[in-house]
Amino acid sequence: MTPVIALSLFGIINLFLGFTFKRQSLQVVTLLFIICSMALTAMDWNHEYLWFGDMMKTNNLSINFSLIIQLAGLLVVAFSNGFGKDEVYTQPAEYYAILLFSLVGALLMVSFQNLIMLFVGLEILSVAMYVLTGSDKRNLRSNEAALKYFLMGSFATGFLLFGIALVYGSTRSLYISGILYNLSHTAPESLPSFLYAGIILMGIGLLFKISAAPFHFWTPDVYEGAPTIFTMFMSTVVKTAGFAAIYHILDVTFGGFQKNWIITVYFITIITLILGNISAAYQQSAKRMLAFSSISHAGYMLLTVCANQPSTSSNILYYSLAYTLATAVSFAVLMVVAEYQTGRTEKPENFDALNGLAKNNPSLAFAFTVALLSLAGIPLTAGFWGKFFVFTDMFNKNLTYPIIIAVLMSAVGIYYYFKGIISVYFNSGEIEKIETSFLFKIALWSACIGTLVLGIYPTLLKSIF
Amino acid sequence: MNYQPSDFLPIFVQLAAAMGFIVFTMIVTHILGPRRSTKLKDEAFECGIESQGDARTPISIKYFLVAILFVLFDIEIVFMYPWAVNFKQLSWTGFWEMAVFMGLLLAGFVYVIKKGILKWEK
Repeated sequence: MTPVIALSLFGIINLFLGFTFKRQSLQVVTLLFIICSMALTAMDWNHEYLWFGDMMKTNNLSINFSLIIQLAGLLVVAFSNGFGKDEVYTQPAEYYAILLFSLVGALLMVSFQNLIMLFVGLEILSVAMYVLTGSDKRNLRSNEAALKYFLMGSFATGFLLFGIALVYGSTRSLYISGILYNLSHTAPESLPSFLYAGIILMGIGLLFKISAAPFHFWTPDVYEGAPTIFTMFMSTVVKTAGFAAIYHILDVTFGGFQKNWIITVYFITIITLILGNISAAYQQSAKRMLAFSSISHAGYMLLTVCANQPSTSSNILYYSLAYTLATAVSFAVLMVVAEYQTGRTEKPENFDALNGLAKNNPSLAFAFTVALLSLAGIPLTAGFWGKFFVFTDMFNKNLTYPIIIAVLMSAVGIYYYFKGIISVYFNSGEIEKIETSFLFKIALWSACIGTLVLGIYPTLLKSIF
Repeated sequence: MNYQPSDFLPIFVQLAAAMGFIVFTMIVTHILGPRRSTKLKDEAFECGIESQGDARTPISIKYFLVAILFVLFDIEIVFMYPWAVNFKQLSWTGFWEMAVFMGLLLAGFVYVIKKGILKWEK
């Protein structure tokens, strides 16, 4: 797993570069680091390797997930703009280093072969996120969010660990291969009942991280309190890595026990869909709306985990990619507008603050619109095909009721995503031309074009996945 | 070796003795001790000087940083002991793995010093 080692080293190098480099050059260096590790990831394509005492396995699926995660990291770094001009209270070198370290955690989560590795990866990712959530030290909201996230997150990790312990106790192995071997060589009736409790507890720990209801209560507050750039990171990287882990645990490892966990996960999926979408419709703050939208998208992705078809892994990949591109763009536009509006309006992250964006910033408004359309699942954008594949999966499994709920809920989704589009294009407001950096523009446009290309040629990536 | 539940009896005896001593002394001191409370006696004790201000005053972050650095390096040095015990069996593999570990630790230490955390007069 060369990218894991490379990213760890790059993170340490980044810490030291912070003593001499300016923030803009640090941003470029970090971008190069991530591109370098993406190249290292892609080099293992079509090979299967076991690493670190057989505790990790890289294959094409894990490489795809790793690439999406690192692409999300790349977008976040490109949008970060060196974290503003505040010399005293922002530490760009440390932020970039922590971002790189958390990518390491995410990579461990997508390619683990041993439950300990899953735990280590999850902790590396989560602890980094706790720190970054509270990085706006003088903002009370950010502090509150960090503390809340930390307390709830460590509690959820406790559930995961308890689940791992129960699974280990009943299968006598921490290795996925060992668990599968022991499960297939034991009669189902002689398996201890706490194995099922272990599966559900592990599921709870992971479902918390992807903010599925009823474990979603931290999401809106944390997403709103954290600096927008880190919210973007949280909603893309953590979600993708979390889904890779959930797929690996529920579908690959315990797919044979589907009848034991499926009812629970169904229930969770359906309330995630309903709660996420309905609450999003009530939000005044665009950032909070995006937080609830991230909950609802977790619901859509859980649908395909429930279906557990051969195409499930590729559908999760496609959905994650579509969601990552769209969320990154919408948060990026929201971030620059909120920066502009700070001091001008009372609530710079509300929908009202976006009023009249299209007049002087047509490109930002267009990118925002494409991103929101993709999140809403309108055809010709990547989000449409993401939903389409998920619903197809469900349909093949003859699960009609969840599809009906999901389709109804995407209709609710159209309402609140279009609220953003309406305030950008049709409401009147005074927003002057907002200057953005070169890297920001490139990232914005490539993510936008990526969304449209994936929407027009979904087979382009489907053939690779 | 098979342990019977009865083998753990001494532990429970020890536990009961420890708890019993605490309960006994607390009850006895409450009964035997004279009770003369004055206003001065009820105040929070502070070296015999009149107490001033609130306990919740901001304290320099440097104390915290030094404390946390101490814990960090202390805990990481603890890993040296198992290595020392198994030094021969682990041979060169263990040596290189430990070298990587110490390298990372040293990098962290250099970073801490360069960041000026150990500079007190500032």
